Amino acid sequence: MENRQSARRVHRQVDVSFDRHGALRRRNFLRISGMSALAVSGETWRNQLVAHAQQLRKQSQACILLWMQGGPSQFETFSPQPESDSGGETKAISTAVSGIQIAEHLPKTAGLMDQLCLIRTMQSKEGSHPRATHLMQTGFLPTASVKYPAFGAHVAQQLGDPDAELPDFVSIGRRRGNTGGGLLGVEYDPFKISSPDRTPDNTQLTTSESRYRRRLGLLDELQSQYEANGGEEEVADQRKLYAKSSRMILSKDMAAFDIQQESSQMRQAYGDSSFGKGCLLARRLVETGVSFVEVSLGNWDTHQDNFNRSKDLCGQMDQPFAQLIRDLRQRGMLDRTLVLWMGEFGRTPRINGRSGRDHFPKAFNVALAGGGVNGGQVVGKTTPGGGDVSERPVKVNDLLRTVCHSLKIDADQENMSAAGRPIRAVDDGQIIQEVFA
Amino acid sequence: MNNLYSFSKFLLTILLCSYPACLVDVAEAQSSPQQTARRVDQMLIRELAEKLPAPSATPVARIDDETFLRRVFTDVLGELPTTEDVLAFTLNQNKDKRAELIEHLLADSAYGRNWARYWRDVIMYRRTDERGLLSARSVENYLTAALNENTAWDKVATSFITARGDVKENGSTAIIMAQQGQPEETVAEISRIFLGIQIQCAQCHDHPTDRWTRQQFHELAAFFPRVAVRPKRDQDVPSFEVVANDSPVELRRRNTNNRYRGTPEHRMPDLQDPQAEGTLMQPIFFVTGEKVEAGSLDADRRSQLASWITGPENPWFAKAFVNRIWAELVGEGFYAQVDDLGPERECSAPQTLDYLATAFRDQGYDMKWLLTTILSTESYQRASRRRRTFEEVPFQSNCAQRLRADQLFSALVTVLEMPDSATSQGRQRSARFSPRNTFSSVFGFDPSVRRSDVSGTIPQALLMMNSPQIGQYLLARRDRMLGRLLLEVRDDQQAVTELYVRVLSRQPTEKELATCLKYRQRVGNREEAFEDILWSLLNTAEFVNRK
Repeated sequence: MENRQSARRVHRQVDVSFDRHGALRRRNFLRISGMSALAVSGETWRNQLVAHAQQLRKQSQACILLWMQGGPSQFETFSPQPESDSGGETKAISTAVSGIQIAEHLPKTAGLMDQLCLIRTMQSKEGSHPRATHLMQTGFLPTASVKYPAFGAHVAQQLGDPDAELPDFVSIGRRRGNTGGGLLGVEYDPFKISSPDRTPDNTQLTTSESRYRRRLGLLDELQSQYEANGGEEEVADQRKLYAKSSRMILSKDMAAFDIQQESSQMRQAYGDSSFGKGCLLARRLVETGVSFVEVSLGNWDTHQDNFNRSKDLCGQMDQPFAQLIRDLRQRGMLDRTLVLWMGEFGRTPRINGRSGRDHFPKAFNVALAGGGVNGGQVVGKTTPGGGDVSERPVKVNDLLRTVCHSLKIDADQENMSAAGRPIRAVDDGQIIQEVFA
Repeated sequence: MNNLYSFSKFLLTILLCSYPACLVDVAEAQSSPQQTARRVDQMLIRELAEKLPAPSATPVARIDDETFLRRVFTDVLGELPTTEDVLAFTLNQNKDKRAELIEHLLADSAYGRNWARYWRDVIMYRRTDERGLLSARSVENYLTAALNENTAWDKVATSFITARGDVKENGSTAIIMAQQGQPEETVAEISRIFLGIQIQCAQCHDHPTDRWTRQQFHELAAFFPRVAVRPKRDQDVPSFEVVANDSPVELRRRNTNNRYRGTPEHRMPDLQDPQAEGTLMQPIFFVTGEKVEAGSLDADRRSQLASWITGPENPWFAKAFVNRIWAELVGEGFYAQVDDLGPERECSAPQTLDYLATAFRDQGYDMKWLLTTILSTESYQRASRRRRTFEEVPFQSNCAQRLRADQLFSALVTVLEMPDSATSQGRQRSARFSPRNTFSSVFGFDPSVRRSDVSGTIPQALLMMNSPQIGQYLLARRDRMLGRLLLEVRDDQQAVTELYVRVLSRQPTEKELATCLKYRQRVGNREEAFEDILWSLLNTAEFVNRK
């Protein structure tokens, strides 16, 4: 009886904390609930609270980034220009929204145009892959002095549950660039999965669970000598890493990594490509409570043979992209899941001597869906031929700030760099209000 | 040391076959590494005191012999000392034994392999094209030989700058191959690696915090337009070759990633009009202003550039190398970044660096001489402490360094007596999937990145804990290291001690010994308990870091 009353008090605290600050303060909420549960010391109640927390985690905001490595051509994806010389041979098709046309290679995506918001006027000055990738992934140019976190790391830090068993930031497919947790720390590095077909490497125990736990206990004891003799930082990092790794592989949530648990119809709907499987896996992970999932599709660097290669890449991307949005919507997850499609830059209006297009950061495309985004619209206008922005230029920081708004995270949150300089999650920039209008 | 007599007979017999005696030439005049090392230590103390009059300079003590041995083995050979090495060294009473050891290790062929892999990673982690990896193995082999022969650093640099030929046969093509012959990227890498100057920031605009201009960057690129990297189609195994194209035909092939042909001259693009032809650039070396004429042959351009980069008037060539090696060995460079030096960058002890860099140049860029010198300094031989904060005085201690992937894999090979086959099934192509390379894909990092920015990852922890490939070598089977050791050493306390020496190159403390013995009692099964102890030791932070 007493337990029951305490527990009720706990719940009230929980609710107050939650109502006043919203999802943003979920970490505080979890801390309160954890402590109270200990105070109550009722095993049943603790379990219930944990279950409750897990439930909440599964209801919080999440982001799926579809990363188009190499810089996709806007002319062959979301901004065809059949009337102009820049357009080349690519034709435009109508979409579910009258007045908006996209490239012929994306028929399934066209059918879901009412869910999509296209930004046709993304702009940056970075035309080299590593720098542009760093800029789009972090919002900053690479510098020697500060190691900027990947945007996914900020999302993981602010939305992720420190008690969660799966990593908060997962990257599927070959990830370019070496951005990660950066100044936020190793715990926000992306967990990389090279192939969505296999259990992630080394996640299966080589001994019984009890023996594994026993080993961990011994390991912990044997670290103290080095810890006391100059190795305190290394040991602390190692402990953090091992605690997190162990919780993860012992978790029943690991089943989320197994796409074979989906029905064959569902797997077919996403398609048999590696990117399609990656998208299905991304949905499963978000469903389990992962905050940020990145799925990479490479080879968009079409300096030669742009038209055939872009067509092929669109073919790999179209069905999974459309199915991901449809699936999230059918599961009631789309409102809380932002799907972001982008690469590091676009490609030149000029078609080079080998039917290729070169790097072009001056006006390129980003597509958004879900997460409160108002679909069926286009933001920004380019000059005829796509050579420049004529209306509503959008900078990388504007985009990231907009993403923060959708995910309900704090773009101005400051974190300390190694040299003690406060670094904001997103520097400057304005929310693109029309995205949500 | 008081535990020493509890060592097993097994170990003591091994003692008989200790080091070959090394003869040391200490008598060399001013330029002996030991004397230079002492001079460096003195200068450093004086310079830091002048610069930072704060009373905060409190250098930590020298490390003990066991730690020194493990550190210097790791740094020079990329391998761990064996149990025999530990015993021989700690029991050696010679007061010059550290100097002897340094000389002995630098004469071991593993030295060349270890540092060749380091430089291979320096080059390959910045590749802009995956095909660059085609030269990964040839560059490792080329540098292994060059380092073991102690080829002078200026000769090595020259070979990279002037390289030609099949990228799988001539490893010195690696920098060009990693950048697919792109003139801008290639010279940016040459400048970064050999001068420590990040001139590529001036590629699109004048460098905001440096004196180099965009024009100077493109003048540097003008040494390389005639370099072409073209596929070799006449053989079964795909390869590329670096060739010079001195034919005067100008083909308009800008904005492409392929340099199959090269161009006669380099042009600086017009920022306002990227489609325009751009401005013709004369090859001029930005540090000294020396130049060759436009129209010169490729061979002349590149050999001139190489001689100016490595020439005595250019201080950055020696400084960049000294700073990099110092940072790798002492844990912190004179400049915060090993590849971002230059007149506008902060140097924590410029006089000391100048002195050491000048001495290195005067020694004819003798790499073994420089390594011996740095390894002999007090700065190197101090115990490791946590990385200093920004305000604290530098070089008061050594710093723990995460082992590079190859070093860690070699450590496992030594400890577990695991095979280290570069290829599986003897097929060349499968080298990419060899255990070492699989391991490197998880543990590898760009060695030019500040080591404080390199952190452990969950996949690394998972691999160390759960890899079935490594797990099979932890078993106490008769055909495995642990099984043999347990058969040989029946006493538990001795067995724990042996495992500690083998894995961590030191004896356990009394507390650690007690912990392990208690654990052994608790588990009951001897084999199982020792498998767990071995597993735990391999998973400690102490094992994956070099103290």
